Amino acid sequence: MGKQAYSGPLERVGEFVWRIPRSYKSGMRVDGLIYASEKLIEQIRHDQAPEQVANVAFLPGIQHASLAMPDIHWGYGFTIGGVCATDPEEGGVISPGGVGYDINCGVRLVRTRLSRSEVEPVLERLVDALYRRVPAGVGRGGAFRFDAKELCRLMAEGTRFLVGRGLASEADIAHTEAHGCLSGADPDLVSARAVERGAAQCGTLGSGNHFLEVQVVDEVCDEPAARTLGLAPDQVCVMIHSGSRGLGYQVCDDALRDLRGVPVKYGIQLPDAQLACAPVESPEGRRYLGAMCAAGNFAWCNRQLLMAQTRDVFAEVFGRSWSELGMSLVYDVAHNIAKHELHRIGGRERRVWVHRKGATRAFPPGHPEIPADYRAIGQPVLIPGDMGRASWVLVGQPGSMEQTFGTTCHGAGRAMSRTAALRASHGRRIDQELRERGVVARAQSWRGLAEEQPAAYKNVDDVVEVVHRAGLSRKVARMRPIGVIKG
Amino acid sequence: MYELFDHTADIGLRVRSADREDLFREAATGLFSLIAEPVRGGPSSCPVEIEVRGERLDLLLFDWLSEWLYLSDRDRTILCDFEVEWVEGGLRGRATAVPMEEAGALLREVKAITYHGLRVEHAGTEWIAEVIVDV
Repeated sequence: MGKQAYSGPLERVGEFVWRIPRSYKSGMRVDGLIYASEKLIEQIRHDQAPEQVANVAFLPGIQHASLAMPDIHWGYGFTIGGVCATDPEEGGVISPGGVGYDINCGVRLVRTRLSRSEVEPVLERLVDALYRRVPAGVGRGGAFRFDAKELCRLMAEGTRFLVGRGLASEADIAHTEAHGCLSGADPDLVSARAVERGAAQCGTLGSGNHFLEVQVVDEVCDEPAARTLGLAPDQVCVMIHSGSRGLGYQVCDDALRDLRGVPVKYGIQLPDAQLACAPVESPEGRRYLGAMCAAGNFAWCNRQLLMAQTRDVFAEVFGRSWSELGMSLVYDVAHNIAKHELHRIGGRERRVWVHRKGATRAFPPGHPEIPADYRAIGQPVLIPGDMGRASWVLVGQPGSMEQTFGTTCHGAGRAMSRTAALRASHGRRIDQELRERGVVARAQSWRGLAEEQPAAYKNVDDVVEVVHRAGLSRKVARMRPIGVIKG
Repeated sequence: MYELFDHTADIGLRVRSADREDLFREAATGLFSLIAEPVRGGPSSCPVEIEVRGERLDLLLFDWLSEWLYLSDRDRTILCDFEVEWVEGGLRGRATAVPMEEAGALLREVKAITYHGLRVEHAGTEWIAEVIVDV
């Protein structure tokens, strides 16, 4: 199975919306809808991502449409950038593939009171110190150890568990999606294997596209919203991208094994084994949900501990406490998760399971789940781009509730496969190229940098422009990387 | 022999071999070539053994690779020198586990083996397997 272009139908039904009609494949229960510009849709056709959008439309209980954001690219089972909502009252299913192996992979943004001119003279030292302190890459265990009982509490309570240890504050919790805790977590449903894999990894970055970046606010598009989020031009921030580490991977692996044969048992026909699912209200479905929520809580603790280590390093390098440096959490979002949410469908409120596989919640102004201090502007949305160009801060808009179950994009989306990126980097020094762009990068392996080079990604500005103009989320600030830690 | 093939977000691994034992051995070697540069056993290395059961060859390959990956992640080791033995109802594998700190260049983390595009086929005189791994 190699990379083939999509040859099925894609009908333009709006300035930024492309439809795969339900008639494309017998078995599709709803249309597929892809949000993209003309430029992006040409890139999207190059692989099998649209086919995967059509395949997701097979899932029982799916509502409205199988959706994809403009950063869509070919994944396994679900496309990356995919969104699907299922209604348990209509036999709706939960699909581990719609969440992914890295359960609650997500992003957080930490602001500082430091300006670019204060950081640049010590940037090299700062990035080196971050690289030494924050475990990144294959096999690097974390500095934090939790025994079995503590891990159970951590998975049940999420970020709040860390407050008692002085590793999280009430403000951190208030500015984390779902307050850093999914209430349906049942640690007893997390296998011993998952715990073994995750025990030493809470507070570690991982590898692949995970990163820790020192960024500068490069451009402010919405001054009042930026002020509300505590962001201003030239300000230094830190963005952290990681997930549930080995614990989450094993929870997903266990669930997919548990679900072998289950679709047949419930008479569900699927075009791809990786879409394996079970009715939400089945024993198999409930088992997965309890474990998924526990892994999600582990992920929030992981990012919290990554932030705690980052704060310590800044305090050491700048000789002031992290609170004196103003290192408050702006917000933390999950972008690989399934959430039980209330949405208006067919003229009435219904509680559905929204699968976001490489997609970000983007609730509009006034939504009760947004922290009180941000409620007037909408939920902050954090969109990492690539390590050479930019990342973005947006806020959710009413269009997301009307069109995409309160969802927007999650990143730039890959334009080049990892193998192609490696080929394209032959004879080049990506770290030096980044330095020429003003970015100091540290990574465990040169291959990691090569696979993640800026050219491997779509231009995040193009992706963000689509969600901005489609009314899903509004641009607030563009962030430019100056320091990068990779696994 | 194994080779990598393009997959936008992840990495595809294709293995060809004249016999099934070699197919599974090469698949495991290919998997660990993604995680680290080739390793050799040293003074701290130790033997490890797994057993996987099942009838469907594609699922057997999935379980075979997943089991090695789990051991590697749990123990922070890189595995090499794989041996394959067919036993009733499945297969038994042996390998050498090298601690990561002695393994030389580490490349990337493999999160999981996926079912997407998973296949094991006997085509003419050769066995061919394809698997996409999440990285």
